Amino acid sequence: MVAKYVMLADTTRCINCKACEVACRAEWDTPLGYSRDWVKEVEYVNAKGLPEVQLFPGRCQHCDDPPCVEVCPSGASWKRDDGIVLVDHAICSGCELCVPACPYDARWLNPVTNTISKCTFCQPRIDKGLQPACVDTCVGRALIFGDANDPNSEVSQLLKAKEWQKLVTDEVNIGPNHYYYTAGKAIPDTVMPKLNERHLSGTLMENIVNPLGTLGIGGMMAVFLGAGIKKLIDRRQDVSNKEGSHEQH
Amino acid sequence: MSSTKPTIKVRTKDVIAIHWFNAFFWLTLVLTGFGIISGDFVRLAPAFWPTFLQNLLGGNANLVLLHGIGGMVWAGVIGVYALLNFKRVVLPFLKNVLVLTPKAAIADMSSMVITLAHLFGLLKHKSVPPQGRYNGAQRLLGTMIIACSLAIAVTGLYLFLSPMLLDFAASAGVLGGVFRWALVIHLAAVLLVLLGLVAHIYFAVVEEPESLETMKSGEAEVAFIKHHNPLWYAELEREGKV
Repeated sequence: MVAKYVMLADTTRCINCKACEVACRAEWDTPLGYSRDWVKEVEYVNAKGLPEVQLFPGRCQHCDDPPCVEVCPSGASWKRDDGIVLVDHAICSGCELCVPACPYDARWLNPVTNTISKCTFCQPRIDKGLQPACVDTCVGRALIFGDANDPNSEVSQLLKAKEWQKLVTDEVNIGPNHYYYTAGKAIPDTVMPKLNERHLSGTLMENIVNPLGTLGIGGMMAVFLGAGIKKLIDRRQDVSNKEGSHEQH
Repeated sequence: MSSTKPTIKVRTKDVIAIHWFNAFFWLTLVLTGFGIISGDFVRLAPAFWPTFLQNLLGGNANLVLLHGIGGMVWAGVIGVYALLNFKRVVLPFLKNVLVLTPKAAIADMSSMVITLAHLFGLLKHKSVPPQGRYNGAQRLLGTMIIACSLAIAVTGLYLFLSPMLLDFAASAGVLGGVFRWALVIHLAAVLLVLLGLVAHIYFAVVEEPESLETMKSGEAEVAFIKHHNPLWYAELEREGKV
């Protein structure tokens, strides 16, 4: 069976030490000010009137139905069979059509490579049988990575043992493969995905240029096919009329 | 030409060659272009086509390269040909084919509608007004193709070269924005031309195969010109060519 890679984040074990971010930036040599992963810190007053902090380690959620792949004109954004969403840097133009399409703000234009950068679950490391850099370095064991299709994997065991949540809303539910354990606490709205947006140019292409083009070309083909059929019928009629008049003579 | 009817030379070999060169590159570039656009939201061809072509060429990077180089050869050859033959070929062609005023556009549209209606046995009582070397539909199509080809060449060059040569990240989103709009213009212009080409190919193959023959041999039947293009025939008469 093909693997299905998932990331689990136990928010009760995260201490916001940023080791995951440091490891990721070292692994991928991201430019200053840019990171492929992050920890969101949410402060609020709980039901007892006491201040509380929740920590949400985040990255690309490697969704089952990724809008970043669907919006990419060149196919540079693609999804492997094992669920990992990748960017082919050889063909990424850096047009950023995918950036607002991601509801998790997981994509950015790398100023060094001029292509889109995002978490890949450290795909080269996984392919060598290693863990992603952020998981390897997580001091609190808040991050757990593995194959959810393998019933013996740690992630499969943990998914069965605890109540995990995903960052989904009624409006945005595109099958993220990143799970969060919050010990029953609700996930704050600020961590939830935003409605995925589109550049006007992409929307125009999807909703106006492509449908009008398809309709137009289809319509033209239908019109001229009709004209051709009529011409054929008229010609047959002419031939049979001529044959009829020959027989009369 | 197999016909023994009197003919006249109306196209030179180089014009015929550039026409078929254009046709061949259009076919190749449309097929490869539709193979490049992969994402479901922006893709126009059915999903199997990009998959098939990208697999055939060992990935989309190779397909983009082929399409980009093909596009530059197309634009380059036609551009150089147009420059070298501007007075002899391009200027007379533009003079005959460009529809530049609303009045001319309305007249050409009206004659195009009558021509199309006649195909279906409609508006039989209305005859197509006398036409010059190019009829209304040809003039409208020609104008559209010239405008769209320029747009396709300029946007295509930007789409192919800008990711390699320009620093998108340093432009605060401007160059990326231009890229995205260039893609929309490129695609829309190609679709517009394809719309017109359906009619162009139908007329050349089904309704007026004599035109197709002319585009192969360069010779046109005098009787055909007299019947379909009386204003042009009158011009040829004045010039003593017929």
